[in-house]
Amino acid sequence: MSDDTYTGPILEIDQLSISFFTRLREIPAVMDFSCTVQPGEAMGLVGESGCGKSTVALGVMQDLGVNGRVVGGSIKFKGRDLGTMSAEELRDIRGSEIAMIYQEPMASLNPAMRIGKQLMEVPMIHFGTSEKEAYERALEVVTDVKLPDPSRILNSFPHQLSGGQQQRIVIAMALMSKPSLLILDEPTTALDVTVEAAVVELVKDLGKKYGTSMLFISHNLGLVLETCDRICVMYSGEAVETGSIEDVFDDMQHPYTQALFRSIPLPGADKNSRPLVAIPGNFPLPHERPQGCNFGPRCDYFQDGLCNQGDIRMQPIKGDDRHGSRCLRIDQIDWSAPIEIGAQTEKPEPGDVVLKMDNLKKYYEVAASALFGGANKKVVKANETLSFEARESETLAIVGESGCGKSTFAKVLMGLETATEGQILLHNQEIQATPIEERDTKTVSNVQMVFQNPFDTLNPSMTVGRQIIRALEIFGIGDDEAAREQRMLELLDLVKLPREFATRMPRQLSGGQKQRVGIARAFAGDAKIVVADEPVSALDVSVQAAVTDLLMEIQRENKTTLLFISHDLSIVRYLSDRVMVMYLGHVVELGTTDQVFQPPYHPYTEALLSAVPIADTSIEKQHIVLEGDIPSAMNPPPGCPFQTRCRWKDQVSDNLCEKDIPPVRDMAQGHQVKCHLADDILARMEPVIKIAAE
Amino acid sequence: MEPLTWTGALGTILNPVFTFAVLGLILSVAGYVLLNTFENAQTAFGVTANRASGPNSEYVLKFIFPIAAFTILLCAVYLLTGILAPYGTAGIIGELGVRLLPVWIALVVTFYLSITYKRKLGLYGKLFDSPIGMIGFAIVMFWVFTAVFVAMDLIITHDPLGQVSGMKNKVPGTPLRGAEDGDYAHYLLGGDNLARDVFSRVVKGSQVVLVIAPAATLFAFMVGITLGLPAGYFGGKLDTIISFVANLVLAFPVILLFFLLVTPEIRAAGIPIPGTEYIWKVPTIMASILFLFPLVFLVVLFDSRYFTQPAKRNLYVGLTVLIGGYIYLGMAWNADPLGIISIDDGVLIVFVAVVFVNSPTVFRIVRGLVLDIKTRDYVAAGQTRGEGPWYIMLWEILPNARGPLIVDFCLRIGYTTILLGTLGFFGLGLSSESPDWGTTINSGRRLLSVFPHPAIVPALALMSLVLGLNLLADGLREESLKD
Repeated sequence: MSDDTYTGPILEIDQLSISFFTRLREIPAVMDFSCTVQPGEAMGLVGESGCGKSTVALGVMQDLGVNGRVVGGSIKFKGRDLGTMSAEELRDIRGSEIAMIYQEPMASLNPAMRIGKQLMEVPMIHFGTSEKEAYERALEVVTDVKLPDPSRILNSFPHQLSGGQQQRIVIAMALMSKPSLLILDEPTTALDVTVEAAVVELVKDLGKKYGTSMLFISHNLGLVLETCDRICVMYSGEAVETGSIEDVFDDMQHPYTQALFRSIPLPGADKNSRPLVAIPGNFPLPHERPQGCNFGPRCDYFQDGLCNQGDIRMQPIKGDDRHGSRCLRIDQIDWSAPIEIGAQTEKPEPGDVVLKMDNLKKYYEVAASALFGGANKKVVKANETLSFEARESETLAIVGESGCGKSTFAKVLMGLETATEGQILLHNQEIQATPIEERDTKTVSNVQMVFQNPFDTLNPSMTVGRQIIRALEIFGIGDDEAAREQRMLELLDLVKLPREFATRMPRQLSGGQKQRVGIARAFAGDAKIVVADEPVSALDVSVQAAVTDLLMEIQRENKTTLLFISHDLSIVRYLSDRVMVMYLGHVVELGTTDQVFQPPYHPYTEALLSAVPIADTSIEKQHIVLEGDIPSAMNPPPGCPFQTRCRWKDQVSDNLCEKDIPPVRDMAQGHQVKCHLADDILARMEPVIKIAAE
Repeated sequence: MEPLTWTGALGTILNPVFTFAVLGLILSVAGYVLLNTFENAQTAFGVTANRASGPNSEYVLKFIFPIAAFTILLCAVYLLTGILAPYGTAGIIGELGVRLLPVWIALVVTFYLSITYKRKLGLYGKLFDSPIGMIGFAIVMFWVFTAVFVAMDLIITHDPLGQVSGMKNKVPGTPLRGAEDGDYAHYLLGGDNLARDVFSRVVKGSQVVLVIAPAATLFAFMVGITLGLPAGYFGGKLDTIISFVANLVLAFPVILLFFLLVTPEIRAAGIPIPGTEYIWKVPTIMASILFLFPLVFLVVLFDSRYFTQPAKRNLYVGLTVLIGGYIYLGMAWNADPLGIISIDDGVLIVFVAVVFVNSPTVFRIVRGLVLDIKTRDYVAAGQTRGEGPWYIMLWEILPNARGPLIVDFCLRIGYTTILLGTLGFFGLGLSSESPDWGTTINSGRRLLSVFPHPAIVPALALMSLVLGLNLLADGLREESLKD
């Protein structure tokens, strides 16, 4: 029930400061934050984890918990100060005028209530609508969020829907009351790329349709570029730069924004000729922030005596619309200076074939019930006919969304599972049927893994040094304790961590540092093949570049073969030599990076490329939105695995796609595509990503 | 000698003040709770509180702390007067304070040292940030120190088994009849129905409880961990079988099980070893199986860790087998070659029974924790570098499950204490002379309506120890969640 007479800004935040109070001290989470959201405008809030972006959202909702308190400034919603409202007035506004969408869809829905009931509650509670009207409205909104068969969906429970569908329901619930402001807190982080693209598309359309203002919180610059009109970059509790998307992306006026853009792999970056520039140093802890500019210690343009004196205010930038930057040296820095190109390196020539997979298959048998199973056995085909080669000092990227079989493949390679069929040749030695207990130490130490989650990769109750030494002990390196200790310190040097870290506990390390220790541990036995399972996806953007570069450097020195598992095509394009795209256990495309990123594509690769948000305004992308969700591996579609979502399907005659699994076709030297499409159709494909002429 | 009153001469002055203080405390706490509920209800129903004057409950809150401090100060006055003034001035309470003087000193020293160095002491140090945890720890340590000093012959006033004629069922503070020089002049907490000193029996009884309960709990943990780790980690058939057996034990009524275990017929029954006179009796069978688990646990623990360094491994495993095996022979088989270690039959059966009924619960907790932790990446990292399953279970998983396990350990000592009390109450296991709290409550129960003190004193002791353990566990849980 929006108040239609109000015409001013929907949300005005003025010099907001929020602190959390703990036993030891007051922790300022947000300081001097101002922003305005006009009707129908989408505001993006970007920053690394811990920068206070979610705290701002909670502040707007006036839901800071027991320890949090607004210590300064005001938040005005449609001209009314939220801070002075009573609990009852706030309850009236929440959910009806301001709606919030969180990261985990499953956690936002009540698992014990039918979807319809949860949706209908909103208008019934806020406006006292009758049950029938509420049901009508629910049907309408579920249709709006493009869910198939709305009446069935309304009658189902949350767990019966997929992640993407759940998030759509959460969005639908937020829209039930036609709110004036929608707060989205990383709404797509838990979703797969192609599903994310569809949800983002939906949010954009709905924003236009309903004229809702949005506050879009994300760590992904590309996503913000696609969804928002204005952006606010936050660093360590402060907004450092704010303005329209064009101004900030193309004419940035703050060193942090600049450094951030230089550390993300945009098209054009290349690991050899144009490596990424990582931001030096670490994110300051909230109670250890420096004097003056928070970014000062990590800034290239830092000037002693200027940047570390007193508070710095937001400075408006002349000529631009509401564009501001929290930097004292805006006028002194030459913002158009080209990027200083980092150390260039020679592209190493790939050596001999180290690893060869031939027709590898991995099937799991799943019984219907663990105890009384037997009759109802289902087969999950996790990997189907995987064949490829990997050479010495080569980076092979394995790309695919959840459920595509990339983790199963890694398990089989490591020996945690044995293959159902086919061969794995490691240095011409068959290892597909040897579980890890039976492998000799050399084989085990040759194939090692770097894990995804930095908070999980180290044992929390063992010192860092101890964990590396344990790996050395197991691999039989070093004759005595002293030799291993020495080697451990060398490994810490290798991953550029100070030697004192040997005695630290993992909880004293930051995410990036933990990931470095994980890399050191993987290279303890001079690994020849390293499987990196999304090693940087859980890290903050500014740290990603540093960890990626470290991996590349070690690889170059040790001539390691790197199998880089990822769903992020930007980083894959940046660092890999060859790319393998997987879908539902099948390799659908395999080729060099250039071949895969240029047409002809496999239709899935095409969609994947289009789905990845790119933080560059000069890029033009074709919009390909995949309908539906990834089918379950328990119950794959007949014929081509991708046929249920493929937009080229009607170009193939005879319904071939639904009948036969397509053959592997060689398109060019080393470029394979698994598709039924005729050659001329493939040749007609247009590139998905075009760099607009300057 | 004159009989002692509860507060002696001091009481005539101090008692009215004390009564007022306690009344004030009760009133202010009740007032705070009421006002606070009222105000919360007001906020919940949307009535805007008058913020300028501040909530009224906070105003009352300001009174509670001074009154509480004053009350505690008064308690301290009773104790201090008892210690400083001549015998009898501060009555029974004062004299109890005097007898327990070593305990007070030990408590003050412990707290002083712990609070001074609390930032360096890990989880134990963090305990001193939580008032609840500190109270619990103080109560538990009170009984621990009591047990220790009783063993040093300090606190006790009379022989806990000795009967003095004419002291049967006498009320607290009765002077000892026919006291000679060197005898303690009063039965501070009265005499029981066999004319034994209740105070001495209670403090002596703390020893029995504080030796058996933690030790039995520790053994139950060893058994539960050694079985729970592989069940959770490997899963499958092994898990199904062990879980089923655990459920069987859990489903069987505990008291009935105890009755069965301690019945003389069952205790005497056993498997005759062919060719010898020896009968492998039920308690020995159970003890020999259950006591094997800690030994196996330690051997596997060291072997999985140090197998890459054979010299170290042989040393640790050898020492474990030697020392552990020696204790094992003594405890389970009563076959210690040197004859130093042996357990009384009655104690052994109680011990074994307590371990037996506690271990399935521990097993389930450990299994659940393992199921959670085994999905972590560091476990996968261990697997991919070719670690054996036991290393992963014992060195990668178990240390990270320690938080919930420590909390449960504290709670479980409490349950075990109650269980021991129950056993004693039913007259199972321990001899009827034993001063342990359960047995004492049982023997006092018959005359409860006429002479309540012989039963109430051990009951209060039991209650306070269990309460202390629960508070300690609460404090530990609270603090281990914070960081």
